[in-house]
Amino acid sequence: MSDVIAAISTARGNAAVGIVRLSGDGADEVASRIFFKKGFDFKNAEANRMYLGEIRAGMVKDRAFCMYCRAPKSYTGEDVIEFQLHGGRVVTEAVLEAALSFGARPAEPGEFTKRAYLNSKMSLSEAEGVEALIAADSEAEAAAAYRAMDGELDKTVRAIGSKLVKATAALDVMLDYPEEMIEDTLPEVRETLGEVKTALNRLIGTEKERKMISEGISVVIAGLVNAGKSSLMNALCGADRAIVTEFAGTTRDVLRETLEINGVKVSLSDTAGIREGAEGAEKIGIERAERALAGADLVLFVMDGGEPESDEERELYSKICKRPHIRVKNKGDVGDYPREADITVSALTGENVDRLGALIAERTGIRAMTSPPLTRERQLHAAKKALNAVVAALNALKTSTPDCVSADVKEALEALYSLTGEDAAESVVDEIFSRFCVGK
Amino acid sequence: MMKRYDAVVIGAGHAGVEAASAMAKLNKKTLLTTLSAEAVAFMACNPNIGGTAKGHLVKEIDALGGVMGEVADKATIQVRMLNRAGGEAVHSLRAQVDKNLYHRLMKQRMENTENLDVMEADVNEILFEGNRVVGVKTAVGDTIKADAAVICTGVYMDSRIITGNYERATGPAGFMRSVGLSENLKRYGLDIRRFKTGTPMRVLSKSVDYDEMELQPGEEDLPSFGMLTEGEVRNDCPCYLTYTNEETHRIILSNLDRAPLYNGNISGIGPRYCPSIETKVVRFKDKERHQIFVEPEGADTYEMYVQGLSTSLPFDVQELMLHTVKGLTRAKITRYGYAIEYDCLNPKCLNAALGIKGYAGLYSAGQINGSSGYEEAAAQGLIAGINAARYLDGKEPVILTRDSSYIGVLIDDLVTKGTEEPYRMMTSRAEYRLRLRQDNADIRLTELGHAIGLADEKRYAKYLKKKAEVESLKETFDAVRFKRKDVSQAGIDLGESSKPSFTITELIKTGVGIADIKKLLPELDSYMTDAVTSAVTDIKYSGYLEKEDKRVAEESRLNGYKIPCDMDYNDVEGLRTEAREKLSEVRPMTLGQAGRISGVNSADVTVLLIYLKKKRY
Repeated sequence: MSDVIAAISTARGNAAVGIVRLSGDGADEVASRIFFKKGFDFKNAEANRMYLGEIRAGMVKDRAFCMYCRAPKSYTGEDVIEFQLHGGRVVTEAVLEAALSFGARPAEPGEFTKRAYLNSKMSLSEAEGVEALIAADSEAEAAAAYRAMDGELDKTVRAIGSKLVKATAALDVMLDYPEEMIEDTLPEVRETLGEVKTALNRLIGTEKERKMISEGISVVIAGLVNAGKSSLMNALCGADRAIVTEFAGTTRDVLRETLEINGVKVSLSDTAGIREGAEGAEKIGIERAERALAGADLVLFVMDGGEPESDEERELYSKICKRPHIRVKNKGDVGDYPREADITVSALTGENVDRLGALIAERTGIRAMTSPPLTRERQLHAAKKALNAVVAALNALKTSTPDCVSADVKEALEALYSLTGEDAAESVVDEIFSRFCVGK
Repeated sequence: MMKRYDAVVIGAGHAGVEAASAMAKLNKKTLLTTLSAEAVAFMACNPNIGGTAKGHLVKEIDALGGVMGEVADKATIQVRMLNRAGGEAVHSLRAQVDKNLYHRLMKQRMENTENLDVMEADVNEILFEGNRVVGVKTAVGDTIKADAAVICTGVYMDSRIITGNYERATGPAGFMRSVGLSENLKRYGLDIRRFKTGTPMRVLSKSVDYDEMELQPGEEDLPSFGMLTEGEVRNDCPCYLTYTNEETHRIILSNLDRAPLYNGNISGIGPRYCPSIETKVVRFKDKERHQIFVEPEGADTYEMYVQGLSTSLPFDVQELMLHTVKGLTRAKITRYGYAIEYDCLNPKCLNAALGIKGYAGLYSAGQINGSSGYEEAAAQGLIAGINAARYLDGKEPVILTRDSSYIGVLIDDLVTKGTEEPYRMMTSRAEYRLRLRQDNADIRLTELGHAIGLADEKRYAKYLKKKAEVESLKETFDAVRFKRKDVSQAGIDLGESSKPSFTITELIKTGVGIADIKKLLPELDSYMTDAVTSAVTDIKYSGYLEKEDKRVAEESRLNGYKIPCDMDYNDVEGLRTEAREKLSEVRPMTLGQAGRISGVNSADVTVLLIYLKKKRY
């Protein structure tokens, strides 16, 4: 038996839709005092359907949708009712207050998820995926969280886990049945651990992707003055963010804009053009530009296709070429001076700007993001711990005895299983008896 | 005349003798009953004591002041150290034991123990006042008064042996079985199950062609099980190794319809780790051959034990398959293999003290608790005996933790997780395997054994000496430093290390072993062998042991939270239904034990912890 908890489950602020959610035994009774619809009664309402009706909460009256999920077929495994309301604080907060006055209590942070986990609706790693989902503010972060919710992380972890179980069993069978093992299992252990190391590295390699998803990546647009950097930024953002004039040196500061490419937050910085002899505000702008360059994940080196290549441009490029970069020949519509470029665009006509977006996705690794990234610090920590233990095991294989190797492998297994909340010990014993013919 | 004791032990097998001897040593007037005086500490199956994980158990029993190790040393006829390649943590002493001698010595020992009487009696009822044990009743109607009882019936309760379609209601090796007690326990609401195990045929030594087999001689200069055993143990009776072949397997497979395990005649649950040959052949079809060890049953008999051919196939099939094996083609069977089914308890009926929950003064140990093996039985017998004695003294029970011993792992596994098959100790069941070694069993347990009152002064003094030696060795290892040149000259491989000089500690950590260290420090020979092993191994494993320390600390924190035995889990808000059910079934004694129940997760433990804190237990 659980009491009814209630919370506004959308971000507070001005949005089109706001959601208030109730969960627990008696959620329907609380809801029936808030939501009204002719001929509708929660007692015999069909579950998993949206009902359009009227909300009455204190002074507020509004049209709203209501969704009703009956236990155990709901997110938390309890009776769950969701009100989809018009956005804004007034309506959502009035509904929440009404729910609380009718017997619900405010949910603790993450309590819906905790209940779902406690009611075995999800494994620990899925539960954490959901937590990340709640905080997700971009498409990819949501996707990563969804993948975890779908159990894709579980699947990856299980695949690695079963390999570790195999290695542990191969070691332990030797340690527990020294007289009966005719074949040497150590080569098999070494090979399996090698595979696990690769797989864990792949999983942890997504730390970069995870960071990319939560923190976004930084793309800096650089080039000589008047190469059309600001126009390109405007074209990529689809808005007149930067002031564009035909006068060289218009942009005096670093302008920042966030856009989403393939769901990843890309922070795009338009820098002041770099030219010798700049003074005052422009000079400070150039210094800032150089700092921005240093911190960039990717630099778009913009060249003016309407002008011939200059020494200045070559010199600037020599500073950039060591960083991840894309050479963009702009003003493709104006002139056609030859340049070595990765792409030719026209910021003015928008020609090839889409392709540039795709190229950015490719070069930053956004596109290659295939395996489900670990979305939580704890998961990452566990995976790293597992990897360290596997590396230690491979080392112990060379310098120490199998009892030590086994200790390392078990540590790895436990670290890994802590992600899914499973017990490693029994799996190993089962594996021993299913794979090896041992016993007197 | 009404007999009156402090405690009675039902069954004088490997569990019973430890329980009775422990209680007697703890000044309890104890009666040890047995169905037959000839069956005291009878080794009904294999003729060995020790082996992987089991050797550890014997050393631990000895360290606490139990009897198995000392008697085994006296009855040993060959000894080996298994698992040398696996590392010190899994080195396992395994002795071939003269079965008759072991039985006779153990019987004498019981007969010579003060406060202890041994008597043939068929106990078939436990007598209670309320929930409290007040005595037992025998099949002939005698009542024996006692305030505590330890049930150690082994495989004798309502047992039946099966060979092919022949079956007989009897205990092992023709000994009479126990009838009525199982029914009595069922009446008291205990969960009785049916398990199965088996034994291979024995053959006459002179009909075996030993030249056709591999000789397995004993090893010299090995430590003994008993810390106080003096002098070398006997080590002159070899074992032999041979293999089954395709023909053996063909015969088995073509007679499966006559195998009780496969035609439905046996319903009891058998152990996976101790499969019959028919099970091995069926389950591992690809395996071309299976090992068979031919081992002496004793020094005073010509019977040999055929380890690896445990079977309940019909007599004629046993004969046929045996004769396909190299070296056994003309072997004469003296006893046929058989399967045995018996009643046992669901060990979840027990608390971690091996007391039967819901009753006061009632304990059980050994195969009745779902375990298998002489050593597992003895270990439980010892603990059940200790705790029955402490119950009589009104003291808190002794509960060994998982980081203290294999005994702790064994009992915790049984009572917390339960078992669906006869439970065998394996080193892989011990998560703290690197610290639970044979060489340090006394360092881990003798202090406790002494505090309980079982480990006597002689044992305690020897333990203190060893402990001091280990400490002094570790100091020396840290203090003395050798030049690179001297180390190399001693013929020690320094691998990739480029340091100019080394302490012994540093050398051990790079993988240098005891034999090499002795070249640099010849005075090591003046220390106790086990002390050197313990000191060196502790250093070798130090990185792992430090990691384990953290877990041990966390676990002992949780083990420190006692859960009241009348806890109502329905009262605890926030527990999942599954956890609630499992907790109500197991009734863990501590929060640590609660967390080890399968189906109870860390969130449940947190919920419990909060509840206990709220209630200020």
